[in-house]
Amino acid sequence: MTQRPEPRPGGRFRRFSGLIVIGLALTTVGGLYSLASPSRDAAQATSAPEDVAEGKKLYDKSCISCHGRNLQGVSDRGPSLIGAGGAAVDFQVGTGRMPAARQEAQIGRKKPVFDDKQTRQLAAYVQAVGGGPDIPTAIPSDGDLAQGGRLFRGNCASCHNFAGKGGALSSGKYAPSLDKATPTQIYEAMLTGPQNMPVFGDNQISPQEKADIITYIDSLNSEKDPGGFGLGRLGPVPEGLAGWIIGIGALMIATLWIGVRS
Amino acid sequence: MTAKQPDGPTAAKRSRMDLVKAGATRDGVEIIHYRKRYVVPATKLERRAERKVAFWLFVAFIGGAGYLLTTIFWPWEFKGDTGLNYLFTPLLGIFMTLGLGGLGIAVIGYGKWLLPDEESVQQRHGGPSDEFEREATAATLLEMASATELPRRKLIKRTLGLSILGLVALALAPLGGLIKKPGRALYTTPWKAGSRLVREDGTPIKPADLKPGGFETVYPDVPHAVLASDAPTLLLRLRPDAAVNVRKGREDYHYGDYYAYSKVCTHAGCPVGLFEQQTNRLLCPCHQSQFEVLDGCRPVFGPASRSLPQLSIDVDEEGYFIARGDYTEPVGPAFWERG
Repeated sequence: MTQRPEPRPGGRFRRFSGLIVIGLALTTVGGLYSLASPSRDAAQATSAPEDVAEGKKLYDKSCISCHGRNLQGVSDRGPSLIGAGGAAVDFQVGTGRMPAARQEAQIGRKKPVFDDKQTRQLAAYVQAVGGGPDIPTAIPSDGDLAQGGRLFRGNCASCHNFAGKGGALSSGKYAPSLDKATPTQIYEAMLTGPQNMPVFGDNQISPQEKADIITYIDSLNSEKDPGGFGLGRLGPVPEGLAGWIIGIGALMIATLWIGVRS
Repeated sequence: MTAKQPDGPTAAKRSRMDLVKAGATRDGVEIIHYRKRYVVPATKLERRAERKVAFWLFVAFIGGAGYLLTTIFWPWEFKGDTGLNYLFTPLLGIFMTLGLGGLGIAVIGYGKWLLPDEESVQQRHGGPSDEFEREATAATLLEMASATELPRRKLIKRTLGLSILGLVALALAPLGGLIKKPGRALYTTPWKAGSRLVREDGTPIKPADLKPGGFETVYPDVPHAVLASDAPTLLLRLRPDAAVNVRKGREDYHYGDYYAYSKVCTHAGCPVGLFEQQTNRLLCPCHQSQFEVLDGCRPVFGPASRSLPQLSIDVDEEGYFIARGDYTEPVGPAFWERG
């Protein structure tokens, strides 16, 4: 105890500066590594006449002010739903996009307002009145992963990014990330072309090919990142950013620390 | 060491520390402050410092050993999503950090905690060498040059010039490969009158294949068209209510709701693959150029300055889409000779 060298000014800070450096690094890395886990749901059941009646009640309460009394749409508020079909309703309502909170460049995914049963009833009503593609019931589960990857890169990756993470479009619109999309929702999106997504009908991409694509997206979502942190799998930009800010930043802090300790 | 040193008595007669100081002085280094950290050896404090260095050296050993064991024993092969293989690379990184970092901290710690506390100042050197040295060097070089007696040897002088000429030609020859007239290559594409519009896998397309608001990338049905940089074409099926402003002279270019435009951006040649089916805009992902599909794919945003060229399309007797001819203007980015 008596041999302890004379205390230097700022000694307490120096003793904890190592902890501060590590704490900073961990907070930054942890903040960037916030990946949500994908969820899955089962295939939809078929609709019954009473579903249509119930669906009409829901429609008249929640949808009618923008989409009109007979699904014909209201100008500047909501498009016509004639020909949209149950698949579009199940996608839009099931992902929480509809009912929309407000008019904006793009209506994004949020917590669904209606439960599965109500969504099915709404879909049954729109399907019965307006017609169009219905909710897919049996999506083949034996998709070809390699073929799906080829189709995904050819048709989907230009907007949704090669890892399904989405990307920007014009004037505030964007292609959403696919990590929360269920197989049914992916199928419905291809079938109906929600918002600005092009329509990929069954003559262009067959049901089997759609299943291939879904298999590929599923594998993208369930895959672990073999190199450590995926950083959102957005490619070289966030990787470079992390390298600069975390890597070089940590080196700079360490250099300063060494200098202060001398 | 018995030789006389210019700085004083023989080295053997002096202590090592004196010699260090004399050498430093000769280099213009002055030791201002020098103090041993532990005057009494093996105190509690010194042992603690030693243990700290030893700890980090041991961490370095753990890092190296862990790296080796991970390389040998950790399951690195991809076995679906269940395996531990995804931790292989991070583990290597962690152990390498421990190994290199531990050694680094140990070395710095040794310097900080155990080596003597020292402060030295070194004076800067002056600019050029001294006058005599410079004159002598110049004289040596000039003497060497005049010893060749080159001005007198006319034959060697001329052949030397010739050889330099040859070497210059040799260096410039590869530039010749750049001098080439491209001819009409930039004005034409593989599209010909009657070429079917086919998908990447070679299957033809009929008007029932796309839904309104759908699109497909198509190629001419000639060999290796998929590899041709100027062939990719977007076949768009607009929605029936789309108010298309058809350009003069292109009234028959489209087929119903189907329009075909070059997929090669007129700015830098990227694939314009992002189609917004409600706003009828095409986006180029490289530099955010936007093209208004309803107005002949006119650029409305970004660096592109020319519209995407339109391909005239029709349907043959079998009901498949065909091109009615090549593009009527060059596809892709502008080039020097383009008017």
